[in-house]
Amino acid sequence: MLIFLLRRLLNLLPTFLIASIMVFVIIYLAPGDFLTPARLNPGISAQQIENLSRSFGLDKPWYVQYFNWMNNMLHGNLGLSFSYQQPVLDVAWPRVLNSLKLVLVNLVLFYGISIPLGVYGAVRQYSLGDRVSGVFFYVLLGFPSFFLALLTIFGILRLRQLTGWHIPLGGMTSDNHDTLSFLGRTWDTLQHLLAPALVLAIINVAGFTRVLRGQMLENLRSDYIRTARSKGVPERSVIYRHTLRNAIIPFVADVGNILPGLIGGAGFVEVVFSYPGITPMLLDSLNSQDFYLIAAFSILPMILLFIGNALSDILLTLVDPRIRFS
Amino acid sequence: MKKLLVLAAALTLGSSMAAPFVWPAKWSADAPSAAKSGGEFRNYTLSDFKTVNPFTSAEATSIPGTMALPGDGLFTQDPTTDEFIPHMADGMPAVSNGGKRFVVKIRQGMKFSDGQAITADDWITTYKIHTDDKVGSNSYDSFFINDKPITVKKLDDYTLQFDFPQTSAEAYATMSYNPWPDHIFGAAYRKGGADAVKALWGLNVDPKTVVSPGPFVLSGYSAGQRAVFRKNPYYGEWNKDSAGKSLPYLDGYSFRIVKDLNAGLASYLAGDIDTYGPRNADDLAQIKKAIDAKTLNATLIANVSPAASSQWITFNWNKADSPFKQKLFRDTRFRHAMSMLANRDAMVQLALGGLGVPTYYSVYPVFKGFINDSAPKYPYNLDGAAKLLAQMGFTKKGSDGVLVDSKGNKLEFTLTTNAGNTTREQLGRIFADEAKKIGVKVNFNPIDFNVLVGQLQSKGESRPFDAILLGLSGGTNIWPYGVNVVPCGTDLHSYNNPTNGACATSQEQLMTKLFYQGQSTVDLKAREAIGSQLLKTEAELQPVIYLVGGSYHVTYNNRLGGQHPRDLMDSYYGSRELPLTFIK
Repeated sequence: MLIFLLRRLLNLLPTFLIASIMVFVIIYLAPGDFLTPARLNPGISAQQIENLSRSFGLDKPWYVQYFNWMNNMLHGNLGLSFSYQQPVLDVAWPRVLNSLKLVLVNLVLFYGISIPLGVYGAVRQYSLGDRVSGVFFYVLLGFPSFFLALLTIFGILRLRQLTGWHIPLGGMTSDNHDTLSFLGRTWDTLQHLLAPALVLAIINVAGFTRVLRGQMLENLRSDYIRTARSKGVPERSVIYRHTLRNAIIPFVADVGNILPGLIGGAGFVEVVFSYPGITPMLLDSLNSQDFYLIAAFSILPMILLFIGNALSDILLTLVDPRIRFS
Repeated sequence: MKKLLVLAAALTLGSSMAAPFVWPAKWSADAPSAAKSGGEFRNYTLSDFKTVNPFTSAEATSIPGTMALPGDGLFTQDPTTDEFIPHMADGMPAVSNGGKRFVVKIRQGMKFSDGQAITADDWITTYKIHTDDKVGSNSYDSFFINDKPITVKKLDDYTLQFDFPQTSAEAYATMSYNPWPDHIFGAAYRKGGADAVKALWGLNVDPKTVVSPGPFVLSGYSAGQRAVFRKNPYYGEWNKDSAGKSLPYLDGYSFRIVKDLNAGLASYLAGDIDTYGPRNADDLAQIKKAIDAKTLNATLIANVSPAASSQWITFNWNKADSPFKQKLFRDTRFRHAMSMLANRDAMVQLALGGLGVPTYYSVYPVFKGFINDSAPKYPYNLDGAAKLLAQMGFTKKGSDGVLVDSKGNKLEFTLTTNAGNTTREQLGRIFADEAKKIGVKVNFNPIDFNVLVGQLQSKGESRPFDAILLGLSGGTNIWPYGVNVVPCGTDLHSYNNPTNGACATSQEQLMTKLFYQGQSTVDLKAREAIGSQLLKTEAELQPVIYLVGGSYHVTYNNRLGGQHPRDLMDSYYGSRELPLTFIK
């Protein structure tokens, strides 16, 4: 297993190198730079633009900037963000943690809703509940996530105006967050996470549920299930221990994509809910052409993809007895 | 000897014991007796804060800019008269050397939020750091006039001497920078230079170590979510309201970071934030609806004043690759005709939803003192435009309906703007549609913003665009002409920018001369007179066609008090003074 993971790491190096050069070239090819908006300021002189350009290192050709960056990377330094004038990692890391919280709650909700629904749909195929939930979630599947998020916000606003309940409209914590006890803080954060996480989750429920339902149906018809049933295994055990465990294997293989997907996935929902995750910062950095911040956000998913894939390999060995890395 | 005399005069002027600065009652709509102390004003901002460091900060809404307000310098602009009055200075300065030397007495008894006295050293250190080009401060330019530095000297702990290379309209604004603590920044600067200063006060700074000269000091920042400020207790020792009460009234002030404006509006409607900047008719309607339905107890004032920004079309005079277009764009009659094609009323109605004003000059309409009504305007007039074009030889239309001259040149050009700016896209379409009516073919083409800026700023005999529709904002009512815009050869002299930067017309030469003349005129009335002449020259030449300006709207939750009286509110001075704001 360890050798397998090490080999994986070695494979990553050339990929990483090529990807990093591509990121750099693409950002460099994009017209303008971090100082473009400043050039439109009637009060800033050409001399000052030149000073800034020099102090940001923007006056050097891309390959010089790239080698400096690579060199810094090897020393564990992702460079300085232009707009924050701070090390990129210091600026980005809190956002990564925030996004992880959101996506974790989203995953719990997502699997909490879609696995039971998929199982129910297979066991009670064509029942009223199966059809209604199918139609409902398919309709939601067609909504862009940011639009559903906006609808949710205005729904909460109406509810607040009508009932006076204090339901959070956005953000990650309340104003008095710092004064709360540990439990209070956790509950406060969870309250803020619930709406965006739910929006993210239900958008994707339809797809997953339908595929799981299909997998379950296929497995339910297979010989080993018939054998199990004829041997008198209780129905509950047949469904959850035997069928579900096999039906879920293709999804486990896909776990590797979840981690990097977290970054793109929480996306516009974070923006609409004013949630301080990665996406709002990434959009800002793209907008302002904050070179090293963009580079970091492009490199991070690659590392996450590696970790995610390694994780899914390990998980596969746990759920699928046929897979061994020895 | 002369120096000594001036010094002696300055010392006698300021030798009496410093009194607190009293905030005039006329700056607030509420009487001081109505004001209560305590509470928190909850504001919002669209972009995340980038730093706590006042020397590297560049955003419009910033943490250092909130701790120490623009008026927390030696002098502050009185919104009722536009004149500068002493704030951190003990009185108006002693002026000598033909208006180039200012000796300023500093008000005594002022303290930073950590209790340390604010003295001349703090101004000197702040000046030194701002003018170190390795720091990259946004204020760098303000300490230079035509590349010549302004110098600041300490005469004693409470006396500063400013020497300007020439007289300057901006002198009081230049001297009015916020002083930051020498015991923090000076100490770091002397030890580690620019890098040590830049390394201070990032977003992860411990708020306990942050020190402010202004009414508020940072008490907490949560990444991407909010910045919270608490009152600086020492500010109230030298800032009083007209009844003698210490300012600010508020205990706290906070900014929520709202990336999505719809979510911001929802927060305002829900009462989570105390104020909001309505963008358009939709926002105004929603707020009005909530107020009428009594779900929101707030005040809404629409169309308070024109916004301090402009939208315009500029034509490229440097088109050596197309002699026809170069001659066309340089013809004053052509530009007058183009101004007459701009249906500004339709633009206000369709592109701004009725919330805006037609504009004809580079000076934002909100700077009323600098608007000269006798300057020519070329309002919407299709017949007039057609006549002017006919004078230029465009009398016939081709089979495609486009005007041609006797040599068969079609009256056609490309107009670009930055894609994604829906207002500008609509302005461009309206202009192109109107132009089509009299046979002028405008190929309207929104392109990437950065490409556009590159084109606008390009220099040379053959620059890569025909016409650009863009906007500018920024500037003050002290001298509302851009140092980077009016003089020939500067980066935003967008219509004519040849390699050698020379003016192409006598009007440009006159405008350049008037610009520098106004820039060096200290007296406001005299400056306004020069500005008026500049405006007239510019309007006659019409190098840039000004289109429309948006409106500034104000809305705030009724739990807030202490806003400006209605006639003081505008997009330049805003709707309130933070120290005079209170929670009812």
